[in-house]
Amino acid sequence: MNACGCPGSQAMDFRKKAEGAAAGAPAAVASELGQWPIQLHLINPMAPYFQNADVLLTADCVAYALGGFHGSYLKGKSIAIACPKLDEGQEAYVEKVKVWIDEAKINTLTVIIMQVPCCRGLLALAQEAAAQAKRKVPLKYVVVSLQGEILEENWL
Amino acid sequence: MNELLNRNIKEVIAEYPALTAVLGKFNIGCVTCSAGNCLFRDIVTIHPLTPEQERALFTAVAQIIYPGRTVELPHLTRKTATRAGFAPPIRELVGEHAWIKRVITLLPAVNQTLAAGLDAAQKQRVSEIVDFIRNFADRFHHAKEEDLLFKYFDEKSELLATMHRDHETGRAHVRAVVAGVEQGDAAAVAEHLAAYGALLTEHIRKEDEILYPWMNAQLGDAQIGRLFADFRAVDERFGGAPARYQTWVEQMEASLNQQRSQS
Ligand SMILES: [Fe+2]
Ligand SMILES: [Fe+2]
Repeated sequence: MNACGCPGSQAMDFRKKAEGAAAGAPAAVASELGQWPIQLHLINPMAPYFQNADVLLTADCVAYALGGFHGSYLKGKSIAIACPKLDEGQEAYVEKVKVWIDEAKINTLTVIIMQVPCCRGLLALAQEAAAQAKRKVPLKYVVVSLQGEILEENWL
Repeated sequence: MNELLNRNIKEVIAEYPALTAVLGKFNIGCVTCSAGNCLFRDIVTIHPLTPEQERALFTAVAQIIYPGRTVELPHLTRKTATRAGFAPPIRELVGEHAWIKRVITLLPAVNQTLAAGLDAAQKQRVSEIVDFIRNFADRFHHAKEEDLLFKYFDEKSELLATMHRDHETGRAHVRAVVAGVEQGDAAAVAEHLAAYGALLTEHIRKEDEILYPWMNAQLGDAQIGRLFADFRAVDERFGGAPARYQTWVEQMEASLNQQRSQS
């Protein structure tokens, strides 16, 4: 599997030592998800929760890596998720992002990706859609490390 | 020390002039500020200091104010900026500052030509500068600040009151320039153009380096998006005018450069 040297699928082990990680049962964390569905092929970009919304476009792996995803990023936002490496039919993705910007008149778009190189494809896709759209919206990107640290956060 | 932090910074500096150098070391330039009525506490919070820098600053302050005594150093809570760069609407304002600064850079050369008095050509040039200041710097740019950006913050705070006051002082200088042109008083025109240049240079520095970074860190994404959309509405209202003013700046630079190379 690693013969190609792809950093996106290279196996790594960063399990925490038991004493630090599991000190008693964790308190339940409330979900900040305010809609369904969330997969980019399944969502309707004109759904009411996208109108004038602050929208997150998140790579599939992000919510698993980023410990504080619900409270720090999802809260107050609408979301769609996608994988730029494995998903098919990504032309439809570009169209949906354009509909968000031009027709649902979203307020901001935040793209959250993993640090692996192939994940940049999702940001490129969003930028392409934003360039094709007639309206302009502030576009932000966030890069998350495999261990859930924020490596970059910036407006484009 | 806490009591000191709740005092007006200018008063404290007047009482302990040695603080000037200490504050300057941390890039806190209140000494040159036109108003300086802010509280010491606000000044420290608004400057992007790390906890270590803040401790070093308070240690140095304590040595001046309470020499030989051990005082407990306060720790001020500040919202840490997670964003590396300016959000798009703030970046736009910084870009507009760049155009205003280009015009300010030309003012000394314009003033030199005024030493010989005000002829028709010079009156024309000064009225074009006034037109730029009033329409681009004031109506277009300051309107985005006063009517939109500042509304997200406490306008009664001394920091914003100082910004408003700078805008007002700038307007008064421009009125004095216009009066000088009408009365054919070249010296008054030159004096108020120079004063406007000095005021705005300092004002823009405060905004770019202190106020905007702080505001940028306070604004949430939803507010950034609304501000961006409101700025688009301002752009629409002004149509092609800002671009025409930018072309005028380039022409003015070229014409003054030409004049300089001829003389
Ligand atoms: Fe201003
Ligand atoms: Fe400004």
